[in-house]
Amino acid sequence: MAETTIWNGSDKYLCDKELSQAFHMARVLGMPLLIEGEPGTGKTELPLQYAQDRDIDLFVYPVGSKSSVEQFVAKFDHVKYLRDSQIEVLNAQRDEKGLDTKLSTGGRSTDQLKDYVMQGPAAKAYSTPHSVLLIDEIDKAPREFPNDLLYALSHRKFVMPESGDVIEVSEQDMPAIVITSNREQELPTAFKGRCIYHYISFPAPEVMRDIVRKHYPKADDDIVQHAIDMFYQLRQLGLERSPSTRELLNWLKYMMTFSKAETIERIKKLDGIGALIKTQDDVRRVQRNLMDDVKRPGGAARY
Amino acid sequence: MFESFPDVCRSYGVKADVRSLLLLQKAIDRNLINTVGDLYSFFKGSLVKDPTDIGPYTQAFYDYFVGVDVGAGERLNDAIERADTFKDWLEDFLQGDDERRKLDMDDLINQFLDEIHTTTYDIKRVLDGEDILKEDDPDRPDDDGAGKKGDDANKDRLLDKAADYRFVDLEELRKRMEKVMEQQTRDHEGGSHWIGTGGVSPYGNGGAALGGIRVGGSGGGRMAREVMGDPQYYPVDIDANINDDNIDATLATLKGVIEETNERYLDIPLTVKEGVAQGGLFLPVEMDKTHDKLQVILIIDNGGYSMDYYIKAVQALFKKMKTRYQSDLETYYFHNTIYKYVYEDERRTRKVPIERILSKDPNYRVFIIGDAAMAPYELHEGSIIAWGRISEKFKKTVWLNPVSEKHWHITWTTTMLRKIFKMFTMTPRGIEQAILGMNKKKS
Repeated sequence: MAETTIWNGSDKYLCDKELSQAFHMARVLGMPLLIEGEPGTGKTELPLQYAQDRDIDLFVYPVGSKSSVEQFVAKFDHVKYLRDSQIEVLNAQRDEKGLDTKLSTGGRSTDQLKDYVMQGPAAKAYSTPHSVLLIDEIDKAPREFPNDLLYALSHRKFVMPESGDVIEVSEQDMPAIVITSNREQELPTAFKGRCIYHYISFPAPEVMRDIVRKHYPKADDDIVQHAIDMFYQLRQLGLERSPSTRELLNWLKYMMTFSKAETIERIKKLDGIGALIKTQDDVRRVQRNLMDDVKRPGGAARY
Repeated sequence: MFESFPDVCRSYGVKADVRSLLLLQKAIDRNLINTVGDLYSFFKGSLVKDPTDIGPYTQAFYDYFVGVDVGAGERLNDAIERADTFKDWLEDFLQGDDERRKLDMDDLINQFLDEIHTTTYDIKRVLDGEDILKEDDPDRPDDDGAGKKGDDANKDRLLDKAADYRFVDLEELRKRMEKVMEQQTRDHEGGSHWIGTGGVSPYGNGGAALGGIRVGGSGGGRMAREVMGDPQYYPVDIDANINDDNIDATLATLKGVIEETNERYLDIPLTVKEGVAQGGLFLPVEMDKTHDKLQVILIIDNGGYSMDYYIKAVQALFKKMKTRYQSDLETYYFHNTIYKYVYEDERRTRKVPIERILSKDPNYRVFIIGDAAMAPYELHEGSIIAWGRISEKFKKTVWLNPVSEKHWHITWTTTMLRKIFKMFTMTPRGIEQAILGMNKKKS
């Protein structure tokens, strides 16, 4: 079991009750927590902030299209092993010829197979009691990865390749495992079955205000209100790619470099919209729907 | 405990089985479940596997645990208003309290939900209660009390029932309660045998749960209110032809056509070459296996107006796929059937001999989109041969048909073409099956 007290977020991270309960449940039951939700809803932030706030060791495995369980757990470095064994031969030959210069194996010894085992984040997390293990964006992985992972996670034990060393963790010391997904592909049912599932819904405007406040405690209330109003208006347009929390924060960061009156004016004019809207089609749609009223003098009156 | 809950869930379309009950046992042992709200959160975490499960799940939960039956598309508030559980609770809640009578329905429902979700659920005690029930003899005659209030007292509060007795088999419970009620002749308070207030009933409001948390409390009720009626939390119709709503669901299934490998291999020629250059020091050279590129050919029937709408949807779908997954996509058009040519452009002016398609890499995946319905004479031998050659060459070929499957057997040409191609409906489900079928075939 991981550290099992309830965590309700920190001064930098707003963790709603449902998420904190799901996270707590996962840790108590020793199951991975699978978080899905729109991009920018703070999925990855949860374990990062949790680890930081509680001062716990964190191991991250960012998943990509070439991810394999080998990288995740541990891998035997054959290349280094062969190189070092060849170096030993070379050094022996040099010795014979009375040469002093020797090639170094960097402290590794070919007698010690474990010197060549490259531990991945999983092995490291399992050898550190009560740590946090983040598997980020699992939906980017090749199709077989989640199932392979399932096998690795369901046993609290890893056998290191070649060396045969065993890394084992008791249920008490299990790391808290958090898996995030952007839902770009469906995960296997069996995989989901072994996880506690939580879907982060997009925050309501009031919650968004608190989130912004956590990030920019000094931001002016008026500015934040205007920006959030505009932001939710944009999200209602049904864009191909709706702006996310992260983008709102970036936009505000840019906006806050101006004076208050100017900033509100700029927000109304959708200045720096590139921070929020990322495709050409969407920009056009926004222009059609929102900017008419703002940009062209008397634009709204034409209808 | 809650043995029939998985069944209820399944009837709402949420996958649930006995494993969730085993997990519940574990959660109880570890003191996770203290309120009804905790139960809601627990089952939500363990049964829900997709945001679109949340709606049906919430319906199932309210039906089973609270006795509120939410109809399709109905708001939770409305369902609660007509539920007996709520009416009984309301009667109790309002009794002799004028302040409370001023509250409007919305506030009352909020109050009700908050109470439901924060109802302390001391499972350990309930389990003990189960023992009590076992030892209890339902046929015990009532010790004829002084007053014979009789029938009125038999109206047990449904809310108690909801929160209290669900741990035993429902049917058995109902029988038992009937028996007890037959015997009961007066009001009871406390005790463990009679139906009434107090006693082992774990229903109660206020006070922190024993040794645990109650974060799921009011939050859960609020969540449930948001969920009801929000289409985001209900499954899209994956049996409908692809449209704007379910296109993303389809896209997720299309990911299955992408060939991915993460293997590395030992490049022997390069290892030897390098080894010789280094004077006999052979260091293995490992290379990434090159990723198979996703290669797709679309052959679309864009004759007839009936196809227009679907063509747009299909093109949007594959265009999205192309931008998202970097693929090699070629699109051709035909009218009703093919003979020697297909067309490069939608207006069917630029002919392309089918030999050109046939000369391509056999690893291409071919999607033919059309209703396969035409006059029988159009699908003559020449055409059948042409289709046959495509099917022969590209092992991963499927036909997607926007016409509902039940009409396929009516048209003779559809039947004929089904002998050549695997045909699927043009729905997210159909496409998913098509892709699963494609992947199985080892060509």
